[in-house]
Amino acid sequence: MKYIGLVLKSARRSRRRTALTVLSVAIAVFLFASLQAVLDGFDAVALASSSQRVITIRSTSMIFNMPLSHADVIKATPGVQEITWANWFGGIYKDPKNFFGNMGVDPESFLRMYPEIILPPEQKSAFLEDRTGAIVGDGLAKKYEWKLGDRIVLKPGIPYYGTQDYPFTIRGIYRSTSSAVDNQSFYFHWKYLDERSLQKGQVGWIVSRAADPDRATQLSDEIDQKFANSPYETKTSTEKAFTAQFANMLGNLNVLLGVVALAVVITTLFVAGNTMAMAVRERTTEIAVMRTLGYPAATIFSLVVGEGLVVAVIGGAIGAIAARLIINGEYLGMAGGFIPAFGVDNRNVVIGLGLSALIGVGAALLPALAASRLKVVDALRRVA
Amino acid sequence: MALIELRDVTKSYRRDAIEIPVLDRVTITVPEGDFLGLMGPSGSGKSTLLNLLAGIDRPTRGSIRVCDTEISGLTERALAAWRARHVGFIFQLYNLIPVLTAFENVELPLLLTNLSKSQRRDHVMTALGIVGLSDRSQHYPRQLSGGQEQRVAIARAVVTDPTLLLADEPTGDLDAKSAAEVLTLLQRLNQEFKKTIVMVTHDPHAADRATHVLHLEKGTLVERHEAIDVEQMPARNLEVGRTS
Repeated sequence: MKYIGLVLKSARRSRRRTALTVLSVAIAVFLFASLQAVLDGFDAVALASSSQRVITIRSTSMIFNMPLSHADVIKATPGVQEITWANWFGGIYKDPKNFFGNMGVDPESFLRMYPEIILPPEQKSAFLEDRTGAIVGDGLAKKYEWKLGDRIVLKPGIPYYGTQDYPFTIRGIYRSTSSAVDNQSFYFHWKYLDERSLQKGQVGWIVSRAADPDRATQLSDEIDQKFANSPYETKTSTEKAFTAQFANMLGNLNVLLGVVALAVVITTLFVAGNTMAMAVRERTTEIAVMRTLGYPAATIFSLVVGEGLVVAVIGGAIGAIAARLIINGEYLGMAGGFIPAFGVDNRNVVIGLGLSALIGVGAALLPALAASRLKVVDALRRVA
Repeated sequence: MALIELRDVTKSYRRDAIEIPVLDRVTITVPEGDFLGLMGPSGSGKSTLLNLLAGIDRPTRGSIRVCDTEISGLTERALAAWRARHVGFIFQLYNLIPVLTAFENVELPLLLTNLSKSQRRDHVMTALGIVGLSDRSQHYPRQLSGGQEQRVAIARAVVTDPTLLLADEPTGDLDAKSAAEVLTLLQRLNQEFKKTIVMVTHDPHAADRATHVLHLEKGTLVERHEAIDVEQMPARNLEVGRTS
């Protein structure tokens, strides 16, 4: 601890250079923590996904609809306890940048299918009774400062839902008890949507509850078999597999984000390493003087590594805290529908700090080695 | 009692395939409490001799015994510990650390000890008091004059109460007034605090302050009769010469 003052004073020697190094580490950790948060969001949804629920979409792509009659066929399949269905509306609230998931659902069966959605009884009744009623997640309501009874107008985002605005009344604000259902979505009556749709009786996906979770995969196959060779072939999978498929639609996120994060970290390592090397080079005489005063090579090594560590960890703390404060699905409106809510949690902060410590030590390692191996006489002669 | 004993010390540097001799079979004995001036032209090997005494360079051949320790055989780690305990070094260009205050510069060698913070503070203030700069303890080197910087460097050299003070051209970068102050301070450290001092200098006025003066030329000691006649000083137990 008695050397900490010396380390801090050395780090402040060139304030601008130190500030830029701190900033570069902060940005690296910010990006890393943010990207990690997105991956964690998908993982959390996959983990929380029900093993009982299976989701049926069109085999070609989930952007294509299928007839509602499929729901009756699925319901009649042995092993299916309950079904519900929904359509992606893609409505726009004032401006396309105000993105959130908004879906037409069959209200009663939907709320039975998703017990994770917690709604006060009076709000539930109000929603079920109002054909233009909607329920919104508490995160979404907070973001747009919506209250019960507010009139919300969405413009249709998909051509076959027409061109006229869809007015809604907020009848309920739900909270979710599981990552499988986010708190950033907007649900309304499927019938309201169907009435004004240019293609009647179409649904985007059908959710079934398997009586036996162990048979969910087999049930999925049985459902798909029923529609094989029909104009509307289906692809059914468990909710967990469906979430993974959705993530895959966005590309191989794990690899993509992982590579981006790694590239950022390695670049920062080189930047910080170069800075440390310059700092040590400029201090050659001082290091020689310290060696002359009796400082062992190991202490010189530790002081240089300590300096790298302090600078990097300060940057890491700034980056991690900034990520914690800024990256939040609720505020960014990045979550909704199938995109999981995500945020930088304490684990991400700790990992970010650990990463910055690694950057600091890694960047200082070679300069510290050079400093500790300095030939005192040669270094002093260079100045004399 | 001899504090420094050099026996047949030879030092040469290798530049590519060429071996450059710097010191040739130098033998010196310096008693404890002495103030020795080392003079000679540039390239005569004065600073090399000082570096060898400080343990920051190693002889090619020969034996160097300082403070009862044969330092030529010590490991780097042991040498560093030995330097911290026994040697105070004063540089020509002061070599203070610019981002540290006078207090922190003087405290630097004490960080290697087990002294508490308050003990370190007492030692530092005592050392700064000796060099007359107690009131400048919070000043940075850039806020001090050259003479004051060198006095801070002297305080840094004596703060651990070392046995031996080595000064490499301590007045070489100072004006006459500041040089005189620094030399008076070194004399005081020798006479009042009984520090053994070896000072390399070009300046005959500086050498006059020493109790003995040795001359080096082309890496060998030569006898002169300027400031002090070595032959006339057997009582000080100083042996100077070139073995043959």
